[in-house]
Amino acid sequence: MAIKLSGRIDSNNAASVEQEIMEKLDSSNPSVVIDATDLAYISSAGLRVLLRIRKAYPHMEIHGVNSDVYEILDMTGFTEMMKVEKAYRVVSVEGCEEIGHGANGKIYRIDQDNVVKVYKNADALADIQHEREVAKLALILGIPTAISYDVVRVGESYGSVFEMLNARSFSKILETEPDKMDWCVGEYVELLKKIHGTLVPKGKLPDMKETVVSWAEFMQDHLPEEAGKKLLDMVKAVPQDDHMIHGDYHTKNVELQNDEILLIDMDTLAVGNPIFELGSIFNAFIGFSELDHNVIKEFQGYDYETAGTFWHKFLAAYLETDCETKIREVEDKARIIGYTRLIRRSIRRGGLETEEGRREIDFWKTRLLELLERTDKLTFNPMELELEAIPENLEEVQAFVDDRLEKTDCSPKAQMQIDVAVEEIFINIASYAYAPDKGKAVVRVEVSDDPVTVKITFVDHGIPYDPLAKEDPDVNLPADQRDAGGLGIFMTKKFMDDVNYTYMDGQNILTLMKNL
Amino acid sequence: MLNIQKTIDGSCATLVLEGRLDSVTSEELENELVETLDDMTELVLDLEKLEYLSSAGLRVLLSAQKIMNKKGSMKVTNVCDTVMEIFEVTGFSDILTIE
Repeated sequence: MAIKLSGRIDSNNAASVEQEIMEKLDSSNPSVVIDATDLAYISSAGLRVLLRIRKAYPHMEIHGVNSDVYEILDMTGFTEMMKVEKAYRVVSVEGCEEIGHGANGKIYRIDQDNVVKVYKNADALADIQHEREVAKLALILGIPTAISYDVVRVGESYGSVFEMLNARSFSKILETEPDKMDWCVGEYVELLKKIHGTLVPKGKLPDMKETVVSWAEFMQDHLPEEAGKKLLDMVKAVPQDDHMIHGDYHTKNVELQNDEILLIDMDTLAVGNPIFELGSIFNAFIGFSELDHNVIKEFQGYDYETAGTFWHKFLAAYLETDCETKIREVEDKARIIGYTRLIRRSIRRGGLETEEGRREIDFWKTRLLELLERTDKLTFNPMELELEAIPENLEEVQAFVDDRLEKTDCSPKAQMQIDVAVEEIFINIASYAYAPDKGKAVVRVEVSDDPVTVKITFVDHGIPYDPLAKEDPDVNLPADQRDAGGLGIFMTKKFMDDVNYTYMDGQNILTLMKNL
Repeated sequence: MLNIQKTIDGSCATLVLEGRLDSVTSEELENELVETLDDMTELVLDLEKLEYLSSAGLRVLLSAQKIMNKKGSMKVTNVCDTVMEIFEVTGFSDILTIE
């Protein structure tokens, strides 16, 4: 039974309104809906009337509540006691600028101060509620984001309205002011590091790993058995991680508002290892448009080449290194996640049923199989570099170590001493560990504070060899009686505060330690 | 990366070294010296633009010094502090003529 209320209900008319309602109600029909579409105001006298009706009809609902009345009902706790449905303002986005584009909807600027995110799903109220909650959570945890203040009706869909003044997305900046690329990269990385450094209380956000495991499980029917198993094993081996990931971190979702960076489109917020995020970022810049370079232009406004440059600069800055080997290592892992998602997405959309779809899936699958071949794990350690132990890689190793030292106040002299020691150890491994074959070496840098100490560890799987066992050369002999042998290790010992060698589990492990 | 700039003045060769003298690049200097030293009695190595030196570089400097000891003289000029440190620790500051 519907009861329509209109105008104002206050102490002047509360009694008569109550009587009127009670006369209309029929105790044989327990469902009561109060239609408040035309209700302009309700005072506490009016609220008491509602309470008495509810006492007789516990399933009472109030529909079509305007925002003033909703505020009263919300403040007095009525919204928690009974079902109260807001009346939705109707907003049109026709002719409005599209400023963002997410997994679940598009964002339009509706006037100078406000934007609306229109959800694709026509039954989106639960999604909107979810996004509001996760945005609130992110804000409380220190992530700069916007929280919607109103839910509106946009055509057949719902939208949530945000206040956003003078905001420009990073996509727009990159499109119109290409010389700001490096600045954008810096801010983009800083915000992402903040997100990835944010611990989320357990159970508040979905675990991205579960999602990616489900992708990898899906892939079992579409990859050769061995490759499929490797993919699933690698995803499962990624450790549980309670740090935040955004899930759709592309340049349209990062906004510059006055001088503040704001993150929007929070509905994909999750927790997990950063590699899952990097996989989705790879797709945003490269994956989605690798086959058709126009895709990125349509989606982001800038071209495929700009996207590629941004992606590479982003990875270098995120990993804090210019070392190409390191960048490529992490890129490979991100691509594995990216292609897995693209293939699954395409197959689920019927990609296998069309010629073009099959061609796309083949393209991604070929790359995925190559990557799976040469990758053993999906996690990465920014402080660790694995590469082929050949002399030509020396500069890469030194550049990597130097980048790690940059964060400390390392003097040029100490840096040169460390470089020399790193060279001697790495060249030793490159020359002897695997000769005449080739093999890999791992270089790990650890910096600890107070006192500032750098520890560099070299690991190889070559023949056991202790370079420290050699006797020190006599550095006091005249030139004609000297040979240059052993000088490298001699300098290493002199320049470092501690040098240590062990052979363990088939590995040569050599550590250098220096107080800075 | 190592850049070597060579000038010959009679029987005096001057090599200006720029960049890195390490395990990978020291061979280039070695080859350059083999090509150059035959008719020379004086060798000057200008290290002003040398940014980095490791034991592989020292080995080449030592062999050049040994060759020049037999037929003339060699000197090393414009040594920066960090490279000087390496010469000192390894006793090369006593072997080389450093200006």
